[in-house]
Amino acid sequence: MSTTATTAPIFPSFEQVVQGFAGQIGQLREMAPKPTLSDAVRVRRAIDTLIAETNADEAVWLESCIRCGQCTTACHYFQATGETKYAPMRKMNLYRKVYQREIGPFRWWYQLVTREVKLKDLEELQELVYDSCSECGRCTMVCPMGIDTASLVHHQRSALVAAELVPPELAALRMEQKHAGTVFGASADSLRKMVDTIREKAGVIIPLDKERAEIMVLSSAVDLVGNGNGLLATAKVMNHLGVDWTVCSDGFESANFGLLSGDMSLWKKQVDPIVAAAQRIGAKMLVIAECGHAYPALRWNPMLKSDDLPFEMMYMSEYLGRQAKAGKLKLTPLKGKITYHDPCKTGRRGGAFEEPRAVLKAMDADFVEMPANKEYNWCCGGGAGIFLLERATRLRDESFKIKMEQVNITGAETVVVSCASCRLNFEAGRVKNHWDRKVESLVELVAEHLIEDPRTVPINPAQGVSA
Amino acid sequence: MSLLDFARGPAIHWALIILVAGTIWRLLGVLVLTRGADLSRPRDAFGNFKGYRTVFSRAWPSGEFTTATRYQTGMAYVFHIATLIVVIGIVPHIEFITGLTGASWPGLPNAAGVAFGIIALASLLALILRRIAKPAVYCSNWGDYFAWFVMAAPLVTGLMAFAHIGPRYETMLAIHILSVALLFAWFPFGKLMHSFWFIFSRAQSGVAYAHKGVRI
Repeated sequence: MSTTATTAPIFPSFEQVVQGFAGQIGQLREMAPKPTLSDAVRVRRAIDTLIAETNADEAVWLESCIRCGQCTTACHYFQATGETKYAPMRKMNLYRKVYQREIGPFRWWYQLVTREVKLKDLEELQELVYDSCSECGRCTMVCPMGIDTASLVHHQRSALVAAELVPPELAALRMEQKHAGTVFGASADSLRKMVDTIREKAGVIIPLDKERAEIMVLSSAVDLVGNGNGLLATAKVMNHLGVDWTVCSDGFESANFGLLSGDMSLWKKQVDPIVAAAQRIGAKMLVIAECGHAYPALRWNPMLKSDDLPFEMMYMSEYLGRQAKAGKLKLTPLKGKITYHDPCKTGRRGGAFEEPRAVLKAMDADFVEMPANKEYNWCCGGGAGIFLLERATRLRDESFKIKMEQVNITGAETVVVSCASCRLNFEAGRVKNHWDRKVESLVELVAEHLIEDPRTVPINPAQGVSA
Repeated sequence: MSLLDFARGPAIHWALIILVAGTIWRLLGVLVLTRGADLSRPRDAFGNFKGYRTVFSRAWPSGEFTTATRYQTGMAYVFHIATLIVVIGIVPHIEFITGLTGASWPGLPNAAGVAFGIIALASLLALILRRIAKPAVYCSNWGDYFAWFVMAAPLVTGLMAFAHIGPRYETMLAIHILSVALLFAWFPFGKLMHSFWFIFSRAQSGVAYAHKGVRI
C-alpha cells in the first residue's frame, strides 16, 4: 500500500544539500557589496528610517521596558551563552536612544544629555539584530510588559539596510534578488529545468505555467538549487489530491531577502509578481512552500491588503493540515515516535499550530510534544537568515543544543520540521553533533506516505480536477 | 518657613503638579503618534479583540517560565501590594489625601501600617539585591537604581519618622515628605511610568499576535 521510496534516489540527500549550501554560502561573503556612502550619510539614513518606521506601537514598547531581566530566560541565544550582550532588552537600546532623541516627548532633554548616534554604534548593533536575534518572539511570551522585541529588531534591520550594514551573506543575496530577481541563481530557467528533471526521472508531472488554475503553489531556491525532493514531494502530494494546480515561472520564489535583510522595498518588490501571477491565473489559493519566513512575507504582509485579494494564502503545513482534516489526504501509518518543531515564523509568529499536527495525526503517528511547544517553542537558532551567517556559527551551535535537549526529552526518533531554514539548521546541527535523530520535512514525509491511487499517479495535468 | 512647612507646602504641591503635567505630557507625546496599519487579513474576523485579554493574562507569567521568573514576580507583587496598602492605608496618608481631595476612609492600626511598610521595604531590598547579584540578566542602567532609590527613600524615611529614629520628629517628617516629593517629581521621567505603559504595551502585542491567531 505504501509508496515509501524504494527506488534509487534522484536527488541528493538533505545532508548533501546542506554541504552544498555551505559551499555556496562561503562564496556569498566575497560577493557582498561594499558601502558606498559617507559615514554621516549612512548614520542619517539609519536614523531617518527608524523615525519613519516608528509609530505609537513602537514608541510604547520602547517606553515600557523596566529591565526586569525576564526576557533573558526566554532567549535561546542568551540562555546558550549567558552573555549579557545577547539579552533581548539590550537589542532595543539603540532604537530607544534614537527614539528619545528624535521622537519622544522629552527629546529636547535627551538631545542635551545623550551623545548622538555614531556609525560605530550601528556597526555594533549589527550583531545584536542580525546574528543574535532570529525574531522568534519568545521573549514577548515572558515580558511582563508584553514588549514585542522582534518587531523592534526588524525595524533596526531596516535601519541597517539604509546604513549599508547588512551582514555580507544577507547583503549579497539581497542584491542578487534585487537586481537579478534570483536567489542562489534560482531563476525561471532553473525552475523549468527542475520541472523537466522531475518529469523525466521521477515520472511526476508539474503543471508549469497553466493559464488558469485553482491553486498556485510556490517553490523556493532551496528546492531548485539543492533539494529537488522538496518540489518533487510537493508535486506528488498535489497530484495525489487531484487538484487543479500550477507553478508560475513568473512568481514562484518563496524566499524573500527583503524581509530577511529588512529591505521593505525589496520585500514588496518580491511579493508583487507573486500576487499578480495568482490574480492572472484566477487562483483561489496560494500555497506557500516550506520556507518559514515566506509566511509572514506573504500571508502576514502588513503592506498587502489581503482582504481585497481574490485568493487565500496558506503555508504548506496549513494546506496539508486542512486536507488531512477534510479526509482528503490518505496516508499510510508512520512508524516510530516523532515530535514536531514549530518554526517561529509559522508558529508563534504565524499561528499555524494545529494543521501540521493534524497531518501527523492522519499518519497515525506516535506523536509526542516537546516540553516547550507551540507558542513556547524554542527557536532552532537558524531563523531570520541567521543560518546563512558564518559569524553566527557559535551562537547557532550553542543555541541548537537547547533544541536537541528538547527533542531528546521526548524520546522521539524523528523530528519533523516544516521550514527549509529550520531544516538546514537542524541537519547541520545533527551532523555536527552526531545526533542520533532523524530530521524530516513535513511535505516530504507526506509524499512518502501517500496511499497510492492508480487514478492519480502520475497525473496528467490536463486531467486535474478541482478539489 | 520651617522645613516642614516647605515640605508640606510648596515642595509637595509643585511635585504633584510636575507629576500630573509630566505624566500627561509623556503619555500624550507617545499616544498621539500614528498607528501603523496591518493590512493583512486577520485569522478570524473578530479575533483581534481577543488580544486585549493579554492586558490581564500577562499579570502572571505562563507556567513555561515559572521557575525562572517566580522570585522576580513574587517579590514584585509583594512590593506593589504592600506599598499600595501603606500609601492608602495609614492614617497620616489618609489625612493628606483628605486635605487634597476631601475623600476619607478608615485607616489601618499603626502596627499593621508599620508591618506593611517593612514588608514593602524588604521586598524592594530583595529586588535590588537580585538586580545587583545578576548584572548579566538585568542590564541595569542608572535610571533603574535611581528609580529604586526614589521608591525606597519614602519607605525608609516614613518608617524612621514613625519610629522616632534619627533627627527630631518634625525634621524627619519633613524629610519623609520631601522624599515623596522627589518620587512624584521623578515619576513622569523614568521607568516608574510603566504603571501606565503596561496596559498599552500588553494590549498592542496581544492584538498583534491575536491577528495571527496566536494567544500570548
